[in-house]
Amino acid sequence: MDKTAENIKNRFLELGVEIPIENITERLDKLVTKFKVPVDEARRSVIAYFLKEYNIDRNDFFTGQASTPLVKINEVNEGGKWVNIRGKVVQLWDSTHESVSQVGLIGDDTGTTKFIKWARDDVPDVQEGKNYQFNNVVINEWNGRFEITLNKNTVIEEISEDIDVASTALSSPGDGQPAPMVSVADITEDGKWISLKVRVSQLWDNTHESISQVGLIGDGTGTIKFIKWTSAGLPDIEEEKSYLFNNVVAQEWNDRFEVTLNKNSTIEELDEEVDIGTSSVTFSGVMVDVQSGSGLIKRCPTCNRALTKGACMEHGKVDGVYDLRIKAVLDDGNIAQEALLKRELAEQISDMTLDDAISMAADALDQGVVLDQMKLKLLGKYFIVTGSRMDRYILVDSIEQQAELSPETIDELISEAEVL
Amino acid sequence: MAGYVREVSRRIFAQEFRESNLTFKDGDDQYSPQYLLTPTGAKVNRLFIVGTLIEKEDIGTDSEYWRGRVSDPTGSFMIYAGQYQPEAAQFLAECETPAFVAIVGKPSTYTTAEGTVLTSVRPESISLVDGATRDLWVADTAKRTLERIKDLDSMDPNVIKAKEHYGADNTQYSSMVKEALRSLKEDI
Repeated sequence: MDKTAENIKNRFLELGVEIPIENITERLDKLVTKFKVPVDEARRSVIAYFLKEYNIDRNDFFTGQASTPLVKINEVNEGGKWVNIRGKVVQLWDSTHESVSQVGLIGDDTGTTKFIKWARDDVPDVQEGKNYQFNNVVINEWNGRFEITLNKNTVIEEISEDIDVASTALSSPGDGQPAPMVSVADITEDGKWISLKVRVSQLWDNTHESISQVGLIGDGTGTIKFIKWTSAGLPDIEEEKSYLFNNVVAQEWNDRFEVTLNKNSTIEELDEEVDIGTSSVTFSGVMVDVQSGSGLIKRCPTCNRALTKGACMEHGKVDGVYDLRIKAVLDDGNIAQEALLKRELAEQISDMTLDDAISMAADALDQGVVLDQMKLKLLGKYFIVTGSRMDRYILVDSIEQQAELSPETIDELISEAEVL
Repeated sequence: MAGYVREVSRRIFAQEFRESNLTFKDGDDQYSPQYLLTPTGAKVNRLFIVGTLIEKEDIGTDSEYWRGRVSDPTGSFMIYAGQYQPEAAQFLAECETPAFVAIVGKPSTYTTAEGTVLTSVRPESISLVDGATRDLWVADTAKRTLERIKDLDSMDPNVIKAKEHYGADNTQYSSMVKEALRSLKEDI
């Protein structure tokens, strides 16, 4: 922390402002020690405070620093620091978001690190395999790892020197070394290179030209979304066939994991059949909510998506097809579990057929009565469901009301209470 | 809605709920959820109760405001439903007493002029259920309460906070659970 304070002091000194070191240390210490602010964040906050105090423009402070140090990539280990880096663009990844113009790996003889170039910053593109000096880039800490962010003050110069890139322990696919084989359920780390043996369970409609295929793959432990980028140049895969995916990347997106196939990935069709989700789950709990979107709904005749206000997200205004479904929340006192019930099960437990529901809605001139009727019938009752897990839902295969309480259960609980 | 997690419906007996008086927020934001911390360390933003609706009364002056009393083996819950709980209010207006009801709701507290904290439930939904469901709930609530009592030795910050506030003695709650369970045996 003393070093951080000194750095701040020196930087302000360069701008002609002398701040007593105690003032800096005191502020830093208060944030870090008393208010448990991470050092980087505290440093940022302290700088912001003094910039305001001495009326200095942020840009003057953060840029034009003659002293921005040239660092090696293994020195990229202090968040918020401005540095210059000489390196080779080892890989360019497919950008997952329009706000990111380029993302990939740069490396030098000490290692490799991720870099991000934002679309808003209007910095020229870099090319894979070429060498550059990046001036005025910022080191950021993101999910416990360091990466380099380019910004509007960044200057990129192509250099003629060919930089040797260290083959590092970073999880990038080395030559001839496929990434480790994992199960779908083990995908828990963002940005990790992995290999999978899976079966394609669904192919979805493609939403963007940069995506060649998107859908759901699975193995015995579960299912996960995959995206195959057009730029990967990989052959198309087919539903219900089993494949070995080598060197794919696990990514976290909106709190969920997916895998992406890029041009370092390979696909091999397998002779063996991979079984999906044989591990079905059982959950017992009270139905505490029947969510909106349940009851009588209409689906798009083309893509089967549920319509909202008579329109399909993909195909616009269409003549929908009636369906019955339940999006339930089951709650066991420790977990609130969402569960999806398709038509047959919805009919079974709510004791009405699709035709009943349609005529009920027609009589009332309101689809909502079906949902009300379901709530009346289902809320507050104990159910057991079995099914397969998909995202935050259980896709229910069977549902039953819980059996009446048995005297044995009561005795067990009583003896449990007695030992306390 | 990224990061949104639905609050779990906790299982609390009426006696423990009535004896709870510590509320806190998980953050400084005005939208941070409010919790009621119970003597056995349950952190409650939503609860599920099944019991017998034994009284109901419209205590509203200009618009309907329904008060109900729902009893379980250990005591009773007060529930209040007005214009902001239209479905629950309508249910209370139309239903007969006594009746077995299942309620999903939010805890709410009121501090009297003397400084006593009164707890009540603001229903999100009420439905009619049968006696079997009521028994399942008693066993379910007994089980969850026992789990919490066992966890009272843990270093969980909520447990520590609960013990600091209510005292570490939990014998009354284990005997409460036992009695609730015994009452089930008499019924069957």
